[in-house]
Amino acid sequence: MDFPSSLPPTLFRTGPLGLSNGPDLSSTCSWRDALALPEPLAQSYQKGVSCVATAPLWEPETPGPIPLLPPGPDPWDPGVTAQDLLFRGGVSFRRKPQAVLDVTEQLSRFLWDHGDVAFAPLGKLMLENFRLEGARSLSKTKTVVSVKSLLQDLGGHQPWGCPWASLSFRQRRFSILGGPVLGTSVAGILGELLHEELALRWEQLLLDDAFTGGAMAWVPGRAPREGQLVFPAGGALDKLCFQQVIVSPSGDPRTLGDPGHIWLRGPVRQVVTRTVQGESLLAVRSDYHCALWKVSKQGRPVPLQVLQVGKGATGISLSPHLPGELAVCSRSGTVCLWTPQDGLQQIYKDPETLVFRDPSPWRWADFTAHPRVLTVGDRTGVKIVDTQGPPGCGLLLFRGGAEAACQKGERVLLAQCLGGCGPEPLHPTLHLILTQFSLYLVDERLPLVPLLKWEHELPSAPLFAQLLPPARPGHARPLLLGAQGGDLRLLQLAGAGTSAPRLAGPPQSLPSSSDSLSAFPLLEPKSQWRLQERLKAPTIGLVATVPSSTSTPALLLFQLSAAGDVFHQCLRLQEDPGPDSRAPTASWSPQATARCGHWLKGLLEVPSPPPVWTAPAFSHRRVLGCVEQRQGEQRGLEGLRAAMAEGRLLLRRDLGAVPSAEPPPAPEPGPEDELRARLEAAWEGRAAAWWERQQGGSSGPGRRPKRPKRRTQLSSTFSSLSGRLDPSDATSPPPSPRRASPEAGSQAPVTPPPQKLTQEPWAQRVPSERRQTLRDYMAKLPLQADTPGGVSSPLSQASSVQATPSGQQALQEGSAKQPIRRHTLGGAAVASSQASSGRATPSGSQPPRKRPRMGF
Amino acid sequence: MSDFSEELIRSKTEDDQEESCVFSGTGMYFPWLQKHIDAVATEGKKEKDFAQTTSACLGFIREALLKHRWQEAAGYMHSYLQVLEDSDSQKRLGAPEIIWKLGSEILFYHPKSNMETFNTFADRMKNMGVMNYLKISLQHALYLMHHGMLEEANRNLSRAETWRYGEKSSSQEVLINLIQAYKGLLQYYTWSKKKMELSNLDKDDYAYNTASRTMLNHSWKTSVNLGALIQTPGVWDPFVKSYVEMLEFCGDQDGAREVLNNYAYDEKFPSNPNAHVYLYNFLKREKAPREKLISVLKILYQIVPSHKLMLEFHRLLRKSEKEDHHKLGLEVLFGVLDFAGCTKNITAWKYLAKYLRQMLMGDHLAWVQEEWNSRKNWWPRFHFSSFWAKSDWQEDKPLACEKALVAGMLLGKGSRLASSDRGKTFVTAA
Repeated sequence: MDFPSSLPPTLFRTGPLGLSNGPDLSSTCSWRDALALPEPLAQSYQKGVSCVATAPLWEPETPGPIPLLPPGPDPWDPGVTAQDLLFRGGVSFRRKPQAVLDVTEQLSRFLWDHGDVAFAPLGKLMLENFRLEGARSLSKTKTVVSVKSLLQDLGGHQPWGCPWASLSFRQRRFSILGGPVLGTSVAGILGELLHEELALRWEQLLLDDAFTGGAMAWVPGRAPREGQLVFPAGGALDKLCFQQVIVSPSGDPRTLGDPGHIWLRGPVRQVVTRTVQGESLLAVRSDYHCALWKVSKQGRPVPLQVLQVGKGATGISLSPHLPGELAVCSRSGTVCLWTPQDGLQQIYKDPETLVFRDPSPWRWADFTAHPRVLTVGDRTGVKIVDTQGPPGCGLLLFRGGAEAACQKGERVLLAQCLGGCGPEPLHPTLHLILTQFSLYLVDERLPLVPLLKWEHELPSAPLFAQLLPPARPGHARPLLLGAQGGDLRLLQLAGAGTSAPRLAGPPQSLPSSSDSLSAFPLLEPKSQWRLQERLKAPTIGLVATVPSSTSTPALLLFQLSAAGDVFHQCLRLQEDPGPDSRAPTASWSPQATARCGHWLKGLLEVPSPPPVWTAPAFSHRRVLGCVEQRQGEQRGLEGLRAAMAEGRLLLRRDLGAVPSAEPPPAPEPGPEDELRARLEAAWEGRAAAWWERQQGGSSGPGRRPKRPKRRTQLSSTFSSLSGRLDPSDATSPPPSPRRASPEAGSQAPVTPPPQKLTQEPWAQRVPSERRQTLRDYMAKLPLQADTPGGVSSPLSQASSVQATPSGQQALQEGSAKQPIRRHTLGGAAVASSQASSGRATPSGSQPPRKRPRMGF
Repeated sequence: MSDFSEELIRSKTEDDQEESCVFSGTGMYFPWLQKHIDAVATEGKKEKDFAQTTSACLGFIREALLKHRWQEAAGYMHSYLQVLEDSDSQKRLGAPEIIWKLGSEILFYHPKSNMETFNTFADRMKNMGVMNYLKISLQHALYLMHHGMLEEANRNLSRAETWRYGEKSSSQEVLINLIQAYKGLLQYYTWSKKKMELSNLDKDDYAYNTASRTMLNHSWKTSVNLGALIQTPGVWDPFVKSYVEMLEFCGDQDGAREVLNNYAYDEKFPSNPNAHVYLYNFLKREKAPREKLISVLKILYQIVPSHKLMLEFHRLLRKSEKEDHHKLGLEVLFGVLDFAGCTKNITAWKYLAKYLRQMLMGDHLAWVQEEWNSRKNWWPRFHFSSFWAKSDWQEDKPLACEKALVAGMLLGKGSRLASSDRGKTFVTAA
């Protein structure tokens, strides 16, 4: 094998990552790699450019990838996003917002959604101290609390997130006594677990290494322009599909029939294929299993063997030298050589990482130019291990450190051997190493010193790479990089034989699937959003092929998304890019848009996924409902039956006591009339006269009574927008919420005892201007006094209760019991109608209320 | 006052970055972390409009570059220059490097750019901030060399060589050494050109003497330039090669040997196969004893058993009188054929067939056995499968014959070595 006769000059330093002392010569500019030192012996140094291999431009045929197959029947949900996990809003004194996992919200959501899980054990323990139905029973040995009254006090209000929620004394007592028990056990145990889970999800969101290597492969068929795409499908990615694809002479792929499939018992994470000595093999990695198939000449897969990996498999690779040989890595740090005939042979085991300590259990292995030597990699470096040598020994091929001028925090994401591709490999000893920042090419004969380094600047983790054979002999080899977010880079590698490998021409970025949005017709917002989400789905597989004997050399690229969509794009070799030619912009062909339209039709037929979150159903409603709600329901049903029997419209009065939805507050005519009058005047050109009239009207003796009115007008404008708001409170500052916690309660301003509200002494401290307003307001309050009128009209009671501010409950604490009961009764009935209207309603339908005392 | 506030800002951004980056808990940095945070953060201080526009502009430039839209990139670059007036000193200080990196790339590929534009840009950028002078000068010189402007490059390097700023830091020293080395390389180019001319002259000519004298003079100067860098650990193949060539020409064999020995055997240097190759070639030219050559190649064999020189190494070992050299000769041949890139090397197969016969005749079966033991479970599948038998026979008959010969000896009927079905099929197929 030839070794480059002269390597590019590189400084060699040893040390840890991020050692910034000294110039980084390797990655200063991308064009620097294109520079060749003049060869003095060839006497061509006047024109040093001569030895540069041709690096033609691969030009995408369409502005974005096109769907190859119709969308699968399973709905897809993007899952957890950063918004779900992170704390909203930064800390104000920080210059930059900081990422904080929102454990509090997640915990409270968990308690809402899975209250049975969270509280059931405790509930069981405390069962004998509570009674669900009936009055409280007396026992001398222990206290028994009646849950019913507690729930009645809650009255269907959800204090969660509502600053105006208030508590009865009973609830307060209960929460003070029960809080430490309930709070510590649930928050303590659950909170820890939840935090762990959240941290895990967050890490997964930042980097999901399960699909490293890619879950799609291309098995070449018998004819030069046909082959099979192998990829997982189905909602759980457990259906391994084999899709026949034929490439037309012009370079367009066409699917042939429906894909054949094999059902597996786990999600497919990686699909690898290789043809060694005329024998095509297919290896699949799932979370805890690996499987090997042989693909017959007719393209039928024949199962060979399945392997169970107890700790979880992280990588699988097929030998390019010997048919049926694989390397399998496990989370435990073990790397095994696997052959169906001889079984497993452990070649490396180290739970620790290679260079420095890193918690990631990710391991990777690949083959080298020597069939008995493997590379073993983890996040910190890559080692060359001889399977026949003594265990544990080997040379470091790549070290996350100063040798490769690595940055602080840089980690290996993928290591791949670039040998064994095509008839004349570039350098069979060359290895590609990808980190989140850069790409490195390392020769196993010169370990530790990268021959090439390039900063890829990909906006997500690069987990897929493929070196392709050159389009024409003598051309540079395309090297494709794919990131999880669907971003693609195409590099061209030149240099074979005695010249060192280098980049030929500037790297290119290829369109990603989100660029295809322009090919779809504009949809109504919800479907448009769904389409957008679908196109943005993370990439889990990438494979490319250069079909031979096409009219112009073409590069076909297939991309598999987490939603199970297979998109493809075709790149054409731009013949002889002249000096003045600029990259022409591709446009959508009618066929492409038709295909997109067809696919979209299929997508919209797929039912949307069930929402991840649904409003909780409160169990206490079920408890209470059986007692008190029956009557209303009964009457409604009777009314409905009667109306049906008579064949007439169902009127409200037929429904009896069913709480009617409150009619939206009608806008008060004041401001609009004024506005209309003003606009009309302005339209007729008499704006000045109108203004004078206004001015004149407001001046003089009439001015004083006007002021409260104007305030009313203003507040009514708000009230028409935000529900009901008391006019007198419109200008007052928002009330400080009285929370469930005793600390919050103690912080609330000291208020006059509510019982005294009905008496006059309070009035002395109120400015005379506001006294009347307040008196009016209090007169309007239905529960203000224990008037018998309140009892007599249950229907009006119910509707007014719905609108009663929860703040008034606090005012009513300790006063007569009867209004409270009425209150809760209505509240429960109202709440049952709310329960169906989703999660946002509880706080929305309970309009923020001001307590009258805040007007002081 | 302004300095002070900038100082505060800088320290704050630094640790904020740290916090938001290390957040993952594993110590891994995620360049895409900020994107996630930005999607969530609604409160807190937002970036100023200025910072937003510049960072957006930077994004556009990068995108245009990756899409090969050089004109577009140039347009954005024009706007991006506003970053030089950023009030954030951290950004302002980092800006020239980014501008140089992206700007030079645009000018390198832009269809309407010419050398003059590039030169003006480079000269401007050199003087923008003191930290980048050396780096940009070096890259500028490389650009000029690539375009064949050797004199201009030389002038550039000479100017940079004398440049000093503040205390001489180690990174500055390395850069200056590199600059000097490249200057030395340029001098070497002119020297080798003169050497070519000289070879055309008659040795008794008067002109020959003066010419050789000036050449000596020249190489002395170059040695000063190249010497310093070669002491620094690294891969310096082009420099070492030219330096040794000049030293040899001047008759300084000891100097050349020292340089090469140092380059090959210094512990601080990476194990560069070329260092040993250069040393071997030098010793060969010097007509060093066979023992010496073998010892050099022995080390190369340990680093790169698949090297082209291994066949030469085998020849040397075969000719040697020592018994263990003969054994090593067999090992080397097997070692070469282990590699995927060497399977079709007909010379290696020819040597192996011949040597195996010799070994088996010479009653060294144990040696063959020893080598074969570690290979018997994979060589038959790797070399002697029916697939290769067929394809070799179709593509390269002599190779197939040699392989069949070896297979016959290793696996054949009469062989006392372990036999295999595949091997037999290979032999019979061949």
